[in-house]
Amino acid sequence: MKNYRLQLMVCAGTACVSNHSLEIKEALEREIKNHNLENEAQVVQTGCNGFCGAGPILVVQPDGIFYQLLKVTDVKQIVEEHLIKGRPVKKLLYTPPEEKTPIPKLSDIPFFAEQTLIALRNRGLIDPENIDDYIARGGYKALAKVLTSMTPDEVLNEIKISGLRGRGGGGFPTGVKWESCKKAHGDEKYVICNADEGDPGAFMDRSIIEGDPHSVIEGMIIGAYAIENVKQGYIYVRMEYPLAIKRFQIAINQAREYGLLGQNIFDKGFDFDIEIRRGAGAFVCGESTALMASIEGKPGEPRAKYIHTVEKGLWDKPTCLNNVETWANVPQIILRGGKWFASIGTGDVSEDPWGGSKGTKVFSLAGKVNNTGLVEVPMGITLRDIIFRIGGGIRDGKKFKAVQTGGPSGGFIPESLIDLPVDYEELTKVGSMMGSGGMVVTDEDNCMVDMAKYFLAFTQAESCGKCIPCREGTKRMLDILEKITAGQGTEEDLVLLEELSNAIVESSLCALGGSAPNPVLTTLKYFRDEYEAHVKDKKCPAHICRQLNTYKINEKICLEIGHGCDVCKKYCPDGAIIGERKKVHYIDPAKCGKCGACYDVCNFNAIYIE
Amino acid sequence: MGKLKIEDLDKISESVRKRISLREGAGKVKITVHMGTCGIAAGARNVMTAFLNEIEIHNAKDIIVVTSGCAGLCSKEPMVTIEYENQAPVKYIELNEEKVKKIFDEHVLHGKIVPEYALSIGSERIQ
Amino acid sequence: MVTIKIDDIEVQVPEDTPILKAAEKAGIWIPTMCYNDLIEPYGVCRLCSVEVIRGKRSRVVTSCNYPVREGISVRTNSEKIKWIRKVIMELMVSRWPNVKVVREMAEKLGIEKPRFESLEKDEAPDACILCGLCVNVCRDLVGASILGFAYRGIKREVVLPFDEITDKCIVCGACAHVCPTGHVKMIVEDYKGKKPEFTLGPKTAIYVPSMQAVPRVPVIDPESCIHFKTGGCETCAKVCEPKAINYEMKDEVVEIDVGQILVATGYDLFDASQMAQYGYGRYDNVYSSLEFEMMLNSTGPTGGKVLTKDGKEPRAVGIIHCIGSRDTNYHPYCSRVCCMYALKFAHLVHDRTNAAIYQFYIDMRAFGKGYEEFYSRLLDEGINMIRGKAAEVVEAPPVNGQQGNLLIRCEDTLIGKFREIPVDMVILCNAIEPKRDSDIIRRLFSISKSPDGFFLERHPKLDPTATTTDGVYIAGCAQGPKDIPDTVAQASSAAARILTLISRGEVEIDPVRAMVMDEYCSGCRICNNLCPYGAIEFLEDKKISHVNEALCKGCGTCVAACPSSAMTGQGFTDAQILSELEGLLI
Repeated sequence: MKNYRLQLMVCAGTACVSNHSLEIKEALEREIKNHNLENEAQVVQTGCNGFCGAGPILVVQPDGIFYQLLKVTDVKQIVEEHLIKGRPVKKLLYTPPEEKTPIPKLSDIPFFAEQTLIALRNRGLIDPENIDDYIARGGYKALAKVLTSMTPDEVLNEIKISGLRGRGGGGFPTGVKWESCKKAHGDEKYVICNADEGDPGAFMDRSIIEGDPHSVIEGMIIGAYAIENVKQGYIYVRMEYPLAIKRFQIAINQAREYGLLGQNIFDKGFDFDIEIRRGAGAFVCGESTALMASIEGKPGEPRAKYIHTVEKGLWDKPTCLNNVETWANVPQIILRGGKWFASIGTGDVSEDPWGGSKGTKVFSLAGKVNNTGLVEVPMGITLRDIIFRIGGGIRDGKKFKAVQTGGPSGGFIPESLIDLPVDYEELTKVGSMMGSGGMVVTDEDNCMVDMAKYFLAFTQAESCGKCIPCREGTKRMLDILEKITAGQGTEEDLVLLEELSNAIVESSLCALGGSAPNPVLTTLKYFRDEYEAHVKDKKCPAHICRQLNTYKINEKICLEIGHGCDVCKKYCPDGAIIGERKKVHYIDPAKCGKCGACYDVCNFNAIYIE
Repeated sequence: MGKLKIEDLDKISESVRKRISLREGAGKVKITVHMGTCGIAAGARNVMTAFLNEIEIHNAKDIIVVTSGCAGLCSKEPMVTIEYENQAPVKYIELNEEKVKKIFDEHVLHGKIVPEYALSIGSERIQ
Repeated sequence: MVTIKIDDIEVQVPEDTPILKAAEKAGIWIPTMCYNDLIEPYGVCRLCSVEVIRGKRSRVVTSCNYPVREGISVRTNSEKIKWIRKVIMELMVSRWPNVKVVREMAEKLGIEKPRFESLEKDEAPDACILCGLCVNVCRDLVGASILGFAYRGIKREVVLPFDEITDKCIVCGACAHVCPTGHVKMIVEDYKGKKPEFTLGPKTAIYVPSMQAVPRVPVIDPESCIHFKTGGCETCAKVCEPKAINYEMKDEVVEIDVGQILVATGYDLFDASQMAQYGYGRYDNVYSSLEFEMMLNSTGPTGGKVLTKDGKEPRAVGIIHCIGSRDTNYHPYCSRVCCMYALKFAHLVHDRTNAAIYQFYIDMRAFGKGYEEFYSRLLDEGINMIRGKAAEVVEAPPVNGQQGNLLIRCEDTLIGKFREIPVDMVILCNAIEPKRDSDIIRRLFSISKSPDGFFLERHPKLDPTATTTDGVYIAGCAQGPKDIPDTVAQASSAAARILTLISRGEVEIDPVRAMVMDEYCSGCRICNNLCPYGAIEFLEDKKISHVNEALCKGCGTCVAACPSSAMTGQGFTDAQILSELEGLLI
């Protein structure tokens, strides 16, 4: 009989898998066999650990030792030194930047230590392809509680007390949504899980699905019970997440085998089943009405929401659509009580469901921070804490400039405001939004005009094209931004940009158009000086917009250190560099096409931007 | 397994309890087998296997067995440290399979320290 | 009903009415570009945006699909709304500067020049403005779902499935009808229904036969109409304001008792495609006489201009006489009218174009008043008269890859040479034939046909309007080819004959006629079909036959045939004849 004393948790989220973590798992199993440890050490694949910048990750339990940035060649050493001799391999442990001593234990690493896990409570601890692991960690207990001792109204009430709000971006109070769906006319209703996570750089939902799919399934079953008259649920996953789709399907199959989906769940006379539907590569299908159109087989285009989808949604029937993270929170709320959930976070939801932001939120921290990955933190934590304590501060010792929250439709928040608590209303007040939880950190080397252009290019390309303001307006805005970053912008262009942005926000048909101008509006508000530099001085302060750079050669360095190496001249496509070997080189500004190739290529940093 | 009843949830929990609690790093008792070069030479592997067998035979729960490097007292190997939650750790020296049995029965299962095999109670802690 | 306020005007409307409709009731205009009453509001142009104030919150919504609720207050012309409309119009004008509806709306809203350029500018006056009306009409109203949107974002366009013309399109024309810019056009290439006689251009299933039709109202061709095929569409009924369209209309059968009948059923035109050598139906620019007549008509498809199929003026026109007439293979008779209308054609073509005109004739029959003088005048106008029936029309070989024109091959007997005349257009003088259903008519009225197929007159010289059947007269081309003055003369004479009988009130008939002895008649009806004059009718109530004395000519056929000896000749009964014989012999 296997008598394991060691559990080797190998991270098998998409990011680590694409970095060969499955091969590391196989190597581990091989080495363990070679050293006759099969009966002592079990290798388990888990979902995403969250600390994705450090992948591939291995956590050795029960020691809690955290290994990062692994390669297949490291495995032998780990097995021999650590598993057999008990000596963790120092060079493979996590060492905070600018420090020398590694932190061996996961629970001591600040990235993990500062987090509060609710939605990600099973992170790194279970095999997502094994339902027994989920059950052993208390899974489906909430469902049992609901079906044996709670009425649908009581379940609904618990959710209302908890103050849970939509984690997909809208922040709509979940209790209110469930109640409206419950009250809507009709005896055929649906629940949908929106797993079409479209924001670039956001992978919270993917993590939850790949690491703990059953939490979502359990949440949906509980939701269906509370709303009543719901027999069928749909999970709409974007097709760019094949691993997530695979794990969801395995989870659904295993749940069906155990009778947790299907007819007469737990012999309590409740029927419910779930089907998976795949997206086909459109960001706009994350919008609820477009998603429902897509499930119905029609083109993914939004429609007016003056009649809400909880009254007329999928096939014109009352439909309750919630995000993956929202569903994943439900079982915990039922088990530990709505009051417990409401004790975490900001504000007061006892009178007004919009009165506060409760519970935790998963953020995907990306950009110029040291620790990039997924973090789950209680609402109300300041942006500063997230970026500097958990994120470990700005890389390479640079200066923080702004953080963009909420994905491509969110706004930029400058340093003066980062003591803001993370809260739905607070973020909206400054012109940004919570969104699905994306957080992109920029530093002094980022050009804010370029960042705004980057995000606008995304939303413009993803616009479905149905309504005039979004289809035509965002394109005109992008054209203006292209002009500005190419050095042809004028003052009138800035006025026009702002006017167009506001008009598009007011008159678009759906939230994609309604929020696409946000990056532009916030950068215009907080970083207007950068825009003016582009437009008046025709310069880019961060040197990102190459058309505005003036490249010059520092003659001293070129001659004395570089010795006129002539490399830049060979790379110049415009023939703008004048000089001979062993002599000083010059750049002819009339011919220079501002491509920056010389700047990139000079080994002596003799070329600088004025 | 077939369609679950509510009671089955607990049954499944129980059956996989061991490995799940291992992952959580939680345990009532922590047995550290010192396996430095000296330890291994002296037979620490067999001591480890003996402890693992005892756990299996008694179907004991909430016990973690970990290894560590050399404890420093190489002449007294094989050495084992038994640490009860919130209690001072106890070091046992010069062990063999029989002694393991006794220590397991008395100390690990019933919390009674076996003085004749012990070296000391408490240990240096690195601050 | 709910009460709402629009721009400080209170109005009461049923709940869930869209604001746009409520505003209409209040007399307030809201601009729209993608709205049409026929379909569900699409809400994509956003021009109809208004501000809705509920409590303290104000929200910008589209009025075409926002349902009203009790107590809301709407502002259709606030500063914010005016500004939003301005920006949207600027976006539209920058992309489609020459589209009429866009220009007109921009003018109405006071926009002159947009402040920016569009990289996707489309300067066509019939550019597609992506309003979605065609797609939605086709999907929701007609049920065919032929048109759809493809591609995302700024690349959005209206397409046919896989960019191919599909035969699932039922050619109802609804999409072309709702398109505000004319981008969607209906081109009927292969007309599926019964081709209206004088079609030279496309027609929809509901059409006005011609501008000179009496009455001049549209008629539906049930064979091409979608409604009759699928039960759907009904677009014509929806747009007809006085609700004049009735799909249930059926042919009425009206029974009228009459004493005299005038048969003037006209003629049919010879189908020239039977004569393959003239290329009718194969080549584009070969027309029958009636088709060319339609082209010349100012209410016709070209507005009276003489144009070839590709819209250009012909450089040379050939008119060929005697197509199907004077031809032992088809009709040996002469159609009488063709020479004169051929000359008329020549004169009009000469008037309206600079084309060279050629007439190919066998004989020039200019028999009437002023006809010969007209012919002489035309000779002076420079029309080329070639005496010799054209042998064939062929297509000239293409030059430089372009389609060639037509060549008429003939023998010019006056100069004794074979000629090949290149022309751009050929007009055929089709023969006048008896109507194709003339046999049915003939039997109905018991009249005869002459060997050429036209109805037989009683006497070719002295009685051309009466038939051998009393009470049935013939007139016009039903009797034989003739032109308008002759037809009028004949018809007037027939009408006069009829009127004299009616005005007299009594008819003089020959006393020699048959009579049925009611007691003996068994109702076998053998006599009914025998009578060549249709003079015997069957009385349903009495179950016996009865002789119409006015029609009976006393030929005695029925008397001989009657098996019950119920039929006798008046004054010639068996008893009477036997008595006479008795008197003579005894």
